[in-house]
Formats: sequence, structure tokens, C-alpha cells
Amino acid sequence: MAADGGSFSLGLPCVFSPKSRQYLALCAQDGRLRIWNTDIKTLNQEYVPSAHLSATCTCISWGPCRKAKEGPQRKKRKSEAGQVENQVDLLALGTAAGSVIIYSTVKGALHCTLVRSGIHSGVVNCVQWHPEDCLLYSGSDDTHIVEWDLQTGKARCKWKADRAPVTSLCVSPDGKLLLSAGHTIKMWDLETKDVYRKFTGHSTAVTTLRFATTRPPDSNGLYFLSGAAHDRLLSVWQVREDGKDKNSVVSFNLTDEPHHIDLFTSNSKEEALRLAVVCKDGQLHLFEHFLNGPCKKPLSPLCTVQMTGVEDSPIPVPLLAAALTTDTHSLLLAYGNHLQPVMERVEVNTAERHVCLTRDVHTTLSLTMETTVSKVKTPVVNAKSKVVVPGLPGHQAPVKGALGSEKRKSTDMSIEERLGKIEMSSEKGVKGAPSLQTDNFAVLLVQGLESKDANILNKVFQTRKDMLIKKTVARVPLPAVLPLVEEITKRMQGAVLMVRWLKAVLMQHTSYLASLPDLVFQLGVLYHMIESRVKMFHKLTKLHGKLYLLMTQVRLSSCSKIVNLSQMYYLIASEISSVITYSREELLDIKAITTYQHYDQEYVFPEGNPLFGPPPWTWDLIPVAYCRRGRLAAYWSDSDPLLPSILLAKGQTLDNKVDEIRARVAF
Amino acid sequence: MVAHAEIRVVHLGGSKINFREPVITNDSRFLLCASGESVKVYSSSSEECVHDLQGHTDLVSGIVRNPSNHLQVYSCSADGTVRLWDFTDGILIKTFIIGYPIYSIYVSENHGGVVFVVVPMANDKSSELFQLVAVHLPLSGDQEVEARELSAVLCDVSPSGAASFGRKGEYIAAVKGLQLEVFFFKNQKSHRFFLKPGNKKGAKNAFTCVSCHPKEDCIATGHEDGKIRLWRNFNQKKEYTYSTLHWHHGAVNTLQFTPEGTNLLSGGIESVLVQWHYTQENQKDFLPRLGGAITHIAVSPDGSLFCTSHSDNKITIIQSCVKVSAIIQGLVKGEGVRTDLTIDPRSKALVLNGKPGHLQFYSLHRDKLLYNLDIVQQEYIHEEGLDQFEVVKAAFDTRGDWLATVEERTQKGSELEINLKLWAYDEQTQSFMLNTTVTAPHEDQIIAMCFSPSPEITMLVTISFDGHFKAWLLADHSDTKEGASWSCDFVGGYHHLKPGCCCFSADGSLLAVGFQEVVTVWSPSWELLTTLSQPPGAIRELCFGRLSCSKYLLGTSTKNQLCCWNLLTCSLEWSTPVDVSLLQADPLSENMAAFCSQSGCSDLFVFKPGEPRPLYSQKALCTGKVQRAVFAPRDQMLESCEEHAQWLNRSQLYFLTQHMDLMTFSTKTEEDRLLASSKLLMVDDSVAVTPFYLLLGKHRQQQEALTNPMAERIQLPQGSIAIKELLYTPAHVLPSASFLCSMFVRSLLISSSSASEEKEPVEEEMESEEEDSEGEAELRDARQDLGGSAAWGPGEELGAPALTKAQERELRRVKHFDHSWLSSVLEC
Repeated sequence: MAADGGSFSLGLPCVFSPKSRQYLALCAQDGRLRIWNTDIKTLNQEYVPSAHLSATCTCISWGPCRKAKEGPQRKKRKSEAGQVENQVDLLALGTAAGSVIIYSTVKGALHCTLVRSGIHSGVVNCVQWHPEDCLLYSGSDDTHIVEWDLQTGKARCKWKADRAPVTSLCVSPDGKLLLSAGHTIKMWDLETKDVYRKFTGHSTAVTTLRFATTRPPDSNGLYFLSGAAHDRLLSVWQVREDGKDKNSVVSFNLTDEPHHIDLFTSNSKEEALRLAVVCKDGQLHLFEHFLNGPCKKPLSPLCTVQMTGVEDSPIPVPLLAAALTTDTHSLLLAYGNHLQPVMERVEVNTAERHVCLTRDVHTTLSLTMETTVSKVKTPVVNAKSKVVVPGLPGHQAPVKGALGSEKRKSTDMSIEERLGKIEMSSEKGVKGAPSLQTDNFAVLLVQGLESKDANILNKVFQTRKDMLIKKTVARVPLPAVLPLVEEITKRMQGAVLMVRWLKAVLMQHTSYLASLPDLVFQLGVLYHMIESRVKMFHKLTKLHGKLYLLMTQVRLSSCSKIVNLSQMYYLIASEISSVITYSREELLDIKAITTYQHYDQEYVFPEGNPLFGPPPWTWDLIPVAYCRRGRLAAYWSDSDPLLPSILLAKGQTLDNKVDEIRARVAF
Repeated sequence: MVAHAEIRVVHLGGSKINFREPVITNDSRFLLCASGESVKVYSSSSEECVHDLQGHTDLVSGIVRNPSNHLQVYSCSADGTVRLWDFTDGILIKTFIIGYPIYSIYVSENHGGVVFVVVPMANDKSSELFQLVAVHLPLSGDQEVEARELSAVLCDVSPSGAASFGRKGEYIAAVKGLQLEVFFFKNQKSHRFFLKPGNKKGAKNAFTCVSCHPKEDCIATGHEDGKIRLWRNFNQKKEYTYSTLHWHHGAVNTLQFTPEGTNLLSGGIESVLVQWHYTQENQKDFLPRLGGAITHIAVSPDGSLFCTSHSDNKITIIQSCVKVSAIIQGLVKGEGVRTDLTIDPRSKALVLNGKPGHLQFYSLHRDKLLYNLDIVQQEYIHEEGLDQFEVVKAAFDTRGDWLATVEERTQKGSELEINLKLWAYDEQTQSFMLNTTVTAPHEDQIIAMCFSPSPEITMLVTISFDGHFKAWLLADHSDTKEGASWSCDFVGGYHHLKPGCCCFSADGSLLAVGFQEVVTVWSPSWELLTTLSQPPGAIRELCFGRLSCSKYLLGTSTKNQLCCWNLLTCSLEWSTPVDVSLLQADPLSENMAAFCSQSGCSDLFVFKPGEPRPLYSQKALCTGKVQRAVFAPRDQMLESCEEHAQWLNRSQLYFLTQHMDLMTFSTKTEEDRLLASSKLLMVDDSVAVTPFYLLLGKHRQQQEALTNPMAERIQLPQGSIAIKELLYTPAHVLPSASFLCSMFVRSLLISSSSASEEKEPVEEEMESEEEDSEGEAELRDARQDLGGSAAWGPGEELGAPALTKAQERELRRVKHFDHSWLSSVLEC
């Protein structure tokens, strides 16, 4: 027992609401009471008690569930409003100044204060609600317990409980007994306010008292447990008929002093007591024990849960509170710091002794602590996510040839064999007396394919001369054809122009490719890609036509150089009207032009390609003045926006469209 | 069929809260809004529902403050009654029976005892014409009063909220179509003003709303083309004037003057709250991005709080036009539920499409919207006639690790845009993370999709109108640095028929896809195992049996057939001719629920595939077709012994009706349990709220402490015989007054000194007792503690039947006390 009688390091109060655990009430270092919603994991309410810095909140207790107000029992109609789970409402707070406050979460405001000329002269260490009646008990440093009648808001009874400060209280589930801890643990009969039993207690201040069973006291089956500061044991006490119950019957081993306890009481002998204890060191211990008489050895936890951050050298994330659920595997945890705790429902595999969970608590931290009013959550979208568009592998099912099992027969050669072949083929190349450059290219290409050196391959594939490509491909040795096709396929998925190369390969090596047993598999991806591109080709040519039109228009207008303001306005107006009246597809096309114009140097349509045939040009668009969006926007911002805001909005969507188009065209 | 009294079909919230204008109370602490058949009282600071005022039997169509009592409101309903409520305690005070369905209600401070209601013109309910009538509320003490004293004020008004009282209640203005009508109460005359339809330059002049300036003669009207007209000088028929304000590009939905008339608030589809300065008309403030078309605006009587109702079933509370302070959000109901109802396995919340481009998570236990998950992540433009991305399908895998969503944008004549997004639940950040986006996964709309329940593979199957079904597989690219992503594994089809539905068996070993009349059953390695068919009629829904009934496959067809195939024999087990509109399997038991629509009503049958008799059936569940249904697993198993209620033990069945009401089934045991778990907690809230009160209260307490003991002490002598003796003795036989007075004063002093003298030895005795009995409790009367302040009566202490030590001591003291007093008086 602390002789100084001063304050105890009880930690910051942190309590889950009863029953459905909808809220977590937490009083942080800054003296504010915050109520967090465990469903949405956001701050629900924040309350700053008056004099919150001098009279900090020392203990919190949730009141019993509020009942929906029932009028006279009406005859229940069919399809009448169903009953929703009852809401928790009131929250009792004890302060360092000795006052007791009742806060209403439904009203989001102070409900009442129970300060009556300072009934407690010391710190309120514990507040407890009576489970049945409108009563509240508070224990304080001034060694007294007060029974409050909440209907009147007045103290009903006050008595001295101990010679030392009352550090903890607990009302039995049936509401007839009260446990108090001071120098010793005492059990009071609430009707007569007499001491019913006395227990030895701990050597340090008792911080926790909880009833473990709901059985009546004279059945030898009533147990309660207690935890104390600086004590790494939770003791279980049995209330025995014969009164020989001075010492604890069972104790649970912890790693540090308990900070937060949640338990499921056992209602019968066959039902185990389930216990979750969060210790000061931030670890959670889960226990399960059948309470039945004394047990000599301290029990070790069934499972221990720890949390770490995601940093390179993981730092433990302290757990603040844990709540058990009716489902034995899942737990509700609160962790992180007190100012912004993270709440989570986790499934814990209790078969493992130690569970370590990795959580990123830093990304969820924010400086602004405002209650989230928008009710919108945004899931994470980052660059890691993959985009599958038609034509890329993964969009269509992989083509499985009949001989799929024999695939890669030809590529299963060792490097040695391959090198030998390369040598042979290069010799062959020399024999044919080609130009030096072509030979170099072929050699380079083969080397690049072998070593998968991006630099070499880039250098080779950059060439655009048809003849050169044709000759290079012709000189590539047969075993290197397949890697070449693979490389081309891979590069075509990006925005690299490989059509000439592909064409050359197909022209030169068709016979070889046709002889391959797993041809279908090898060329499947390529096939899908070409197919989807053919599908898209019509639209692209249409787009190209429109782009061309606009470009010529712009060139004309810039030549004439008579862009005075009125004309400019006309241009914009026509642009706008076009934007408004066009169908979305066309609109999309026009918009694409505005950002696409720097692409057109690189973007070459495979015009004369035998694969595609002549492009079906369309000239069905009325001439529309081309105007870059940048200029348009600048113009708008210069003058007073006579134009309604909707047009700006249009511009925005168009901007969005551009990205989309780019992604589509990018292959 | 037997009516089962134990199972009730109950309405589970999700009602419209934006139907009529909300009301803010005088102290701005509460907000009242009509919600279906009840009035809900919300706290404006905590967004919680404080009371649910139930009593109306039909749709509540309006709420107004009682102008004569700021703690009361009137509500009117289509059931033909006006009810008066005390909203702080949630008590129904009075019911006035009008007798006609009421569509809105207006009151004015200057018309005491009269409410103005909008009722149909003719007596038949189908009438399209409405009139505004004044109802004199009879003063009567009864709970239910008939109010038949009606007098017509205006004919042909619009049924909803298009009327407003002018300055001091002198006139009322109402708009309908192209006409503004102002009725003056003083001379009982009405003036009408007409506008031209005006199709030139796209002007649409029809009136949409009206609001009168509270201090001046000015009427503001909103129009369909977004203009606001301010009418003045309207008491003359000809010389009226109006000025025009124009900012809105869509129709002005609502207008409201602030209580002092300094500002005019307007809102429309743009979801921007516009505040016009009344004196400087070209100045305006905006509060943009309120997230949905504004349908109503309400202002608190002190002008500090605004609230706006939005079309997405939401009420926003705004503090003095600067800051959104709270949002009360109901179940979002757009044009329809396009996704199926699903249950998120993690949060156990009901998931369906909500705001455009969002999925909403709705807590069934608390009847509260949790949040909207932004799936599309594109700016939503609040304008009519735009085609924007909508979430049309959503599915969770069995453990809640994966969420698949399909968003699509359709446009007339042009091509469809579809994206399939696959979201992984990231434990580290506790949120969904986009894993793979598949653009254009199919060439046509996706009809349905489902995850494979098999624990070994993570697979999604989508079926589409393009005649294919695709299986998407999570492929692990552990060789490259990028993580696992989804890719197509198989494309299947059957004779170019259009698929209609798909279903995995409970263990994921079979996939059934219905192609028109044919059911195809596939193995995980994509072999077509068998085909089943039962013509005529295309297969509408498919469902595998669970647990002991897993050998059965059930299907419903468009030609009113419910078939059950045995998968072991590949033959039809049984079939019945019922028009099943919806078939739903309980994931935790063998039970199946079939909703049948019959002659405008829906019936429910709950059955096991293997048994011939239904477990439960309910006729006439609701009018119209049941749109969607889902089985939600319970947290705690119910232990109901009633045979026909057992199917509700493990999970609960929720369904959406045609009118988008969320309904469920509730059993008696469940209700009893809920009732038992809660008790009425009455806590006095009148105690010390402000620091000022604390100061004053302390002062008053001291006064009490001063006065009260005196009163008590005086009472004692009055009753005693000695005093009577003293008073009734003739004056001349008494000792001198100075002697008596000093003695009297001393007698008063003696009592307290004797008590304190008495107390100390007792306490000492107690202390010693305590020492003797080693730390036995010491009980002290609280009254002594405070030096006799009358914070509580001593009677409470005495009231206990058994005598505690404290009481004994008290008794002893009282005895002692009385004795000393008597003796001291008798001494003289």
C-alpha cells in the first residue's frame, strides 16, 4: 500500500462501451475526452471538460444501455419499426478535483455534474455504475465511498471505507455487493453498507477489481479478480461460505502491471472464464480458465498478442485496450497512441502462443483531429495496382495449345549449346558478305537477347530503316527467333513501336515459327494483342482524322494572325458549344487532341501495313476551332466568368478523359 | 397458412429523412425530421437520434414548431391527423383529427390556435388538386380532439412546401406552375401574378419555391431555369415590381430567408448553398461541395445554424454558413439498388451502392450508415443529364480479403465503358487497396459475378451479356518484384447463348452457369461436367444447397418453375410451379428463402431442398415485388425452440421492397432479449451545467445551509407541549420578557452544543470499536459530515427496515436531544 496516499499511476483511462463495443472512450494526455467509433474507426466526439488541465479526468465508466422510450404498450402492428440494438448513452467521469461528471454521448454534451460542495476532497479514483438502479459509486483518495442517486443528482450515502485511499471499486453483477480496494479489499453489502468479507489484497495499490462469475455469494462460486500497480500477477479470490477466504486462490502471470482488463464472466462451472489483459508494456494476454477452487501455480497466458510497426527496425506499437467478443476467435483492439488510437477487429488464432501483428500506424496519423463529417472513405489507390487493358496478357485467357505440355522444348538448351549456335550463325553471316552494319546489328541483337541487356536491345530496336530491320532479322539465327518474338511482344505491351520488327520477323521466319510444336502458346499473347488493336483501330483512325483537321485549322488561324478578342471569344464559344452538343465519344476525341498533340510525332499509325489495310478515314466532323485548354483556362480566369461554372466543370471531366485516352492509346 | 404470431415482419429504418423540410429547435440543440411514419429527433451536435416520435399511421408529411411553445412541435401526416409533441421528452401531447390526408402544414405566430394544412380539394383521394385550409384547433383537455372547423384559404396549391407566410403573418404566398398567389388576411383578398411560359432563350419560368421576407414586404420565388425573383409592391394588382437574381444553372429547389431577413439562402442541383445578401443583391457567398442536390433548407430561429436536406437522403448541419459541422446520413437510395445486397464479412455491414460512384456500408445492428467507400474516385458533377460512372456490381470473398467492384457508364448510342476493380484488404493500413483494374473485362454489361468459396484458390467469375463467362485468378508473381495481381484464367461459353446467372457450390468444387434454358456445371479445371435443363423458360437464378443438402442444385426459371436437381444422379428431383422472384440461400444452414410474387403481393417460403414441406411461409409479406434480399449471420445464435422460428436462429433475413424499404423478420425471443438487456435510466440533467450556475448554485447552497437548520430547529419547539404551555399562559404570570428571551435563545444554542458534545464521545467509541474489531467499517452519517446541511432528508436513512449502527446512534441522539430540550424548558 502506498504510504504517501497520493495519486497512483493508473494510466490514462480508456474504456470500451458495454455490449456491442460501439465506442471507445479515451481521455488523452491533453485532458480531453474523446469518443471513437469502433465501427468506422473515426473520432465521434470530443469533449473538453471545464478545467480539464487542473481537474483532469482520472476514471471513466460507461452507463448501462439506454432503453428506447416505451410508451404504453401499444398493440404491435405488422411492419412496425423493428427494435434496434440499444444505444449507450451516459458516461461517468471522475476528476482529479474530486468531482464526478456525467456526459451524454447522444446529446454530445455534458449531462450533469455531481459536484455538491466538493463531496470528495481528494482525487476520484474510480466510478462504477450500479447495474440495475440509477446509482453510481465513486471511490476517492479521501478514503470515502459515495453512493450517488442519479435521479436527484445528489449523494445518497457516504461512508469511510478504509484508512487508505480507495483506489478501485466494483459492483457485483446482481447489484447487491460492492468491492472496494484500499489497504485491503473489502466486500460490502450494499443494502446495509456493512462489510461482508475482507481479503488481504496486494502490497501495492489495487488498480483493477472485476467480478469473474455471476453466481450468488453463498454458493462458494463467487470469484473476483484484482490487479495492482507494479504487480505482475492478477489474483483471483473466492468468496467462500465458511469465510476462510483471506488468500487468493488462483493467479495469472503477466509481463507487466495490468492496464486494461476485459473479461467474459462464467455463469456456470462448465463455462470458462475468458480474460484479456493489456499490460503496461503494450502486450495483450489472453487467458481461459475454469474457476473451480484453488490452483497453486500461477497460470500463464493462452496466447500473447504483440504489435509492431512496419519500419525497417520494427518498433513495438503499444496496445491500449482490448475487448473480447462473443466469437471466441475475434478481438477488438485499440492501439497506437492515446491521441489517435487505431481500432481494429482481428481474428486471433489462439492455438499459437505468441501472435505478432504488423500494422502501419503512421500513415493513418493526421494532424487535424476534426471529427470526420464527410462519411466518405477513400480506399488506397497507388501505383502498385496493375491495370489490365484489352490486349495485354491477363485480359484474355492464356491460349493453351494442344501440345502445351511440350512447350519450351526448343528453348531448353544450355547456354553452351546456344553460344555454339550463335557462333555458327555469325559465321554464316560473314559468309553472305553483307554490309558491316547489318552484321553488327544482328550480332548485337543476339547478344542482347542472350544477356537480356536493355541497353543493347534499345540501341538495336531504335532503328527505323526498313531495309536494315529486314536484313538484321534475316540474319538472326533460328534459335534466337523465339526469344526475339518474346522480346518484341514484351516491348509492344509498352508504348514502343515494334510493328516493323514484328513484320520483318513474320516475313522472314514464318516457316520456322510454323514448325514449332507449341506455336499457339508462343504467339497467343501476340495474337490477343493484335486482335484487340484491330478492334480499336477504327476509333483511332477517326480520332486521327479529327486531330488532323483541328491542326490544319490552327495553322491557318495562326497564319492569318487576326486573333482579336471577339474572334477569340467566338472560337471559345464554338469550342464550348461543340463540347456541349457533341456526344460523349466525340467530345472525348476532341479532348484527346488537346493533350495529344505532342504525341503525334511519335505516334505513327501503321498505315501501309499489310496486317491492317488502308485506314478508313472519316471526315465527318464540322470544322471546330482548335484551342488548347491552357489558353482557354487562362482566358477564363482573365475576364470575369460570364460563362457558367458548368463549363469549367466540363473542362475538368475532359481533363480526366485525357488520361483515360492516353492509357488506351498508349500501347 | 397459419399466421405465426412469434415472427413479425418489421421495418428496419432506412426511411427517407429528406422528404420534408427539417426543423431546428429554438435552442439549436435538436433537429427534427420526418422519417417514414415517425418523426425523428436528432441531436445537432452528436448526430445521434435522441427520440423517435411514433404515433402516426401513415407517412409524416410535415413538421413545424409550435409558435406558442418552443418545446413543442406539430406534425401532420397522410393519415389525416395533426399531432402535437413534446420533443425533449418524446411525448405525444395531443392528436387533432382532421379527417383528410394532409400534405403539408404551416403556422404563423400571428395566427394563434390555427394551423394551415394542405388537403385534397375533393374528398376522393385520387384528386390531383389541393387546397390550403385553416384549421382552428379546439382547446380541449382530451388526448384526441376532432378538429372539423376548416375554412379554405387558397385553392389549387401545390401539395409540397410551396407556400410561405409574410411579414407578421399578414399574408400568405403560394406558387404553383406559372402562378404566384398572395392572400391577404386583413381584407381576405388574394392577388394573382402570372408569368409567361417563355421558351425564348431557354427560359423556363415555372415557379418551384417561395419564401417571404420576415420583416419587409418582399417575396422571393425560385424558378425552373435557376432564376430567383424578388417581388415587391405586390399589394397592388398592377404596379408590382420584381428584380431577378441568377446564379443557379439548374432549377432552384428551395429558398429560405434568414430570421432577420438579412440573407436569402438558395439551393439546387449544383449542391452549392448560395447566400445572397438582401441589401446588396449582387453580393453572394457560397458553400460548395455539399455532396448532393439540395432539396430543403432550414434555418434555426436564432439564425446560427442552417441545415440542408439533400437528395441522397442526407441532412447537413452548417454553422453560420461557414463550416459543415455534422452530417446525418440515412440509407442512400438512388434510382435503385444495382448491386446485390451483400454482407461484408469483416464489419458485418450491409453493402450496396450508395452515392454515385460509391459503395455504402450500412450497419444493420445500429440502423446507421457507417460510411461510403469511394470506388470510382472521380469528381462527380452535379448536373442533370450527364452520364457518370456508377458502381453496378460488388462482391466480397468469403473472408472479406477481396472486394470486386464493377463500374460502368452507359450512354445512348455509344459504347459502354466498364471497369472491373479488385480491391485487397490491407491489414497494415486497415483499408482497401486497389490491386488490379481491368478495363473492358467484357464486351457487354456484366450480369453477375461471384467469388469462389474454396479456401485454396482465390477466383472470381464474371458473366456477361456478350455470351461468355470469365474466370479471373489471383496469380502470384513472386519472381518479379510486383505482388500478386489478377488475370484472366478461362473464358467459357455455351453455344453462343447468353448466360443469366452463376453460382459456386459451397466448397467451390463446382460452378453452375445458366445459359438460357440450360444449366452448365463446370469443374475447377474448366471441364464441362454436365448440362441440365428443364424447358420451357430461361433459368433466372441458381443456388446450390449447403451442408447436408449440398447434392442439390436449385434453379428458378422465367416460366414460373422452381426446380431442384440432384447432382449425384444428374436428374430432376422435384419441381413446382411457383413464380419465384428471388431465391436466397442461408450461408450458415441448409435453408433457402424463396420470395414469390403473386397478384401484386410477395410471399415468402423457407424450405430445405431435401424436404417436401416448407419450414415457414408467410403470405402477403409486402405489396409489390421484393427487389433484393440477403441473409446476414447473427453475432450470437438465438435459442428459439419454436419449430417454425428456428430458421432465424443463425442468421437473419433482410429484404428490400419495391419502395426501397429495408425490412426484416424479428422473432419474439429476440425482442424479449433486447428488452431484457436494457432498462430505463432516468438521470436528472438539471444539475449544474454552466460555470455561472456553479457560482450561483454555491451561493444558494450556502443560503440553504443557513436557513434550513433554523427552520428545522424551530419546528421542534413548536410541536412540543412546553411551547404550547408557554404560549397559552397569560402574560402576567410569566417571568419578564428579557429573562424569557435569553432563556429561549440559550435553548436554541443548547441543542446544537449538546449534539456536538454527544457526537464526539460516540465517535470515539466507534473508533475504539473499530480498533477492537480490527478495521471494521466505520459508518458515519453523511449529515454530520456536512454540518447539518440539508442536502438530503434524514428520512431516507431512517426508511431502511433494518437498523444500522448509524441509525441506532441517530435514534439515541434524538432521544437525548429531546430530553435536554424538555428539561431546559421545564426548568423555568
